[in-house]
This record gives sequence, C-alpha cells and structure tokens, in this order.
Amino acid sequence: MTKVSKENLSAMEIREARMRVAYKILPVVSVVLLVLLWLFAANSGGTFPSPVEVWDRTVQLFEHPVKNRNLIIHVLASLKRVGIALAFDWTFGIAFGVMIGWFPKLRAFFSPLFDAFRAIPPLAWIPLITLWNGAGELSKIIIVIFGSLQSVVINVKAGLSTVDRMYLDVGTVFNASPAQRLFKIAIPSSLDAIFAGVRTSTSAAWMAVLAAEMLGAGDSGVGLLISRGMDSMDMPLVLTGMIAIGIVGALLAIVTQFAERLICPWTRKTR
Amino acid sequence: MPVDEKNKVILKLENICQSFIVNDEVKQVVDDVSMEVRDNEFLVVLGPGHCGKTVLMNIIAGLAKPRSGKVYLDGEELHGSDERIGMVFQSLNLMPWRTVMANVEFGLELSGMKKAERREIAQKYIDLVGLTGFENSYPHQLSGGMKQRVGIARAYTNSPQIMLMDEPFGQLDAQTRYSMQEEVLRIWQSEKRTIIFVTNNIEEAVYLADRIVLLSNCPAHVKQVYDLSCLPRPRNFTDPEFLRIRQDISDNTDLAL
Repeated sequence: MTKVSKENLSAMEIREARMRVAYKILPVVSVVLLVLLWLFAANSGGTFPSPVEVWDRTVQLFEHPVKNRNLIIHVLASLKRVGIALAFDWTFGIAFGVMIGWFPKLRAFFSPLFDAFRAIPPLAWIPLITLWNGAGELSKIIIVIFGSLQSVVINVKAGLSTVDRMYLDVGTVFNASPAQRLFKIAIPSSLDAIFAGVRTSTSAAWMAVLAAEMLGAGDSGVGLLISRGMDSMDMPLVLTGMIAIGIVGALLAIVTQFAERLICPWTRKTR
Repeated sequence: MPVDEKNKVILKLENICQSFIVNDEVKQVVDDVSMEVRDNEFLVVLGPGHCGKTVLMNIIAGLAKPRSGKVYLDGEELHGSDERIGMVFQSLNLMPWRTVMANVEFGLELSGMKKAERREIAQKYIDLVGLTGFENSYPHQLSGGMKQRVGIARAYTNSPQIMLMDEPFGQLDAQTRYSMQEEVLRIWQSEKRTIIFVTNNIEEAVYLADRIVLLSNCPAHVKQVYDLSCLPRPRNFTDPEFLRIRQDISDNTDLAL
C-alpha cells in the first residue's frame, strides 16, 4: 500500500478527515466548557462550591471518612445493593419476560397486572416496603428491584413476542420440538432485546439505589453521602457524591456494552 | 426396469387449493393444482410473480396447510413438515447469531446428533458449496451469493430426499445468478436428489429443468408441463433448440400483473 499524500485527496476526503478530528475534539471542548461554567457559577457569589472546594472535600472524605467509610467504600456499598438486585432481575426478570413474551396465554393473563404495577414509580413503594421489612438492607434492595425489574421484563417480552417468522419456519422445516423452538430459535433471536433489558435495568438500578439510600436510614452508600451533605448544608460533599454517581453510572454503561459485544459478536456490524 | 425406476413418482400433489381471507374477502391463490414429481429429477415450477408459487412450496414443506387437497410422499399422505423434505428459502432465513458452520449444522443439531459427527457432515457440504474457509464467519460478513450457498448447504446437510428451492436467486445480481445456477446443477449432479425449483425466470427454468411445470396467473393452476429431458446438458443459452423452447414457453406465459 502506498501512502496517500495530501494532494491526492479530494475535497470531500479532506472535509471528512477534518470532521474526524472535530469528533475527537468536541467532547473535550464540552467538558472544558462545563468546568468553566462551574468556575463562573462558583465565583459569582452564592453557596455554589467551586471545583477546588469539591476536590478538597473529596480528599477530606478519605482522611475523615463519613461513618467510618471513605468514598470508595460508599460506592462499593451502593454497587453491592445494585448487584444483588440485578442478579434477581436477570434471573427472575428474564425468565418471566421470556414466559409472557413467548406464551400468548400467559401474556394475556399477566399483562394487565404487570402494566398496572409498572405504572407505579418505585419511590411510591418506599412506605409499604419499609413497613414490611423495616428500613434495613433488604428494603433498599427491594426498592432497587422495584425500580429496575420492569425494564428487563418489558424488553425481554418485546423480543420474545416478535420473533421473526422466517427463523421459526426454518425450525418447522427441520422438525424442531417446542423446546427447541424456544431455546434454539426464539431466545437467541431475542438476545439483542434481552441485552437492551440488561442495559436499561443496570442504569435504572443505579438510579434507584441512590433514591433508596437517600430516603431510608442507613450508614453506607453514595446516596447517604448526598443526604448527609444536604442535612449539614455541606454542598461540596453533595457534589462529590453527584460526580461519583456520574462516573460510576458511565462505567456501568461501558461495561454492559462491552459484555454485549463479547456475548453477541454478530451485532457488531451495527456499530 | 431401470426405466421404471427412473420415472418413479416420489411426490404427488392432488387437487391442492389454497385461499386466504384478505380484507374480509376470500382470495383464491392456488386453484386445484395436481402434479407429480419424479425421483431425482430437476423439476422447475415456473410462474409469474405473486402467482402462488411460494404458497405451493410452503404447503409441500409443511409450513402451511392447504384448504383442500393432499400431498403424498412415497405413496403416503403428508401431514405437516417431514424430515425427508428440505427447503432453501427465498429470503435466505439464515440465523444472524450463528456462524456459517452453526447455520449449516442446525438441522443435525436439532435431530440430536453428536457434535463431532455433525461437524463432519456439515463440513462436507460447506466444502461442496465452495465455502471452505468461511466456517466461522457470520452471515452479515458474507455476500448475497455466499449467503445463498449457506442456505443450500444447510438444506443438504439433513440429506432430504426432496429439496425445495423457492426462488433462491431472486435477489442476486445477474452475474452471481448465472454462477449460482451452474453451482446448483453441479451440486445436483454430484449429490442426486429430487429438486423442486421455483422461479419466475423463463431462461433460468429452461437452463435448469428436466421438466417445467408452468403455472398461470393467480390463482395458480397448472397451464402446461414441458419435458426437457431431451435437451442435452450442459445447456447453452444461445442454442437454437434452447431459444425455441424458451419462445414456446414465453408465448404460453401469462403476463405478471
């Protein structure tokens, strides 16, 4: 291969090369703008903390931990709750979604109940859940499950109820048994929908755990940091918590996306 | 005796009728089709677009039940799909989540064959259709012609007695289409099977067929059956005899609406 010199490029190719550079620079620009805006807001008086204050508060959180836990341990406590809730979501939720997606009779039976329940926001369950299970760890996990289970069920159900007829025809021609139709055709053909459920439930669970931690009593979690900061008017602590939430949430999204590419290599063409 | 063996009827359609309800009206799509298919012959079902050819194939494959009429395979009546009948689909129907190998061995996998055994058989047909080296590719990485080869290999792997090919080359460009026609003939000659090949292309029909069953416009009924076994192979598109038969059929064909 000969190296392409600049003179050989058409105007369009040059424009495309410039665009590629722009795509790399623009995200950096937006972050820089955000920090500038933040500095400006902090300097214009009021109670909004500056980036330096937030950074100092973050460092301080390691030196003088809240409830004997530093930032990392609070994040891990939240992640543990999310992990337990998601383990339940991805076993029970996927199984339930497959059932109501694949068997029309079960769908007809469960759909009204499911639709009614999912219309209730997870926060509305907090009083009842606390009443039944107290304000402990279990209640927090149940709130997270209530906040994330439906995104798994909806996506899996959508995938299994719209399996392309042409794949099932292949099964018919090869005399597939009912179990083979489900496990060899319907479920694999719905893997992208199932993964959409995994992705959305992960982010939903991460949102729900913060609500659970902010409202309920407890001594760990990023949500606790924020409510603690709110109670003591410690805005730098609130922002430290918010930034941690943002970073962990983004990391979770990257991890699930990576897992999807690993498990479903044929979907790579769309990216 | 060998002559009788050669003309043995393997598949028989008897008074097949099919209709669907479209907008509250009964639409007849197949009107009393009867035909016989002989062992190891290359039978082409030729008809204008949307005349009910695919509907007919789906009935033979067991993907649909006819409103009336019967299908006999080896003298016994068929109810639903049968492992002795294989199908190459018009729309390919490859499973995007399976590699070429996994697609080709799908039928054997369903039948419960052990992995090593089915790999060996699948490999044989992957080699036969000329896809050696692409075993681990996914369908989206293949060209149209290569995908169609996967579909053919998948159907052959289960060793059906009768192979249904429903306009398999309809979506290919002309060049690929010609080479795939030759491929199908080559495969048919190396692995003798009964092939029922559906097309709306007269040239393709005359090039491939031992016999041609010409269908009418919708609702489909049999207009005429042509015996081309006298036309030697390999056939030449510009051969005078070829052109004469082609013209003959063309004059007799309904225009597609």
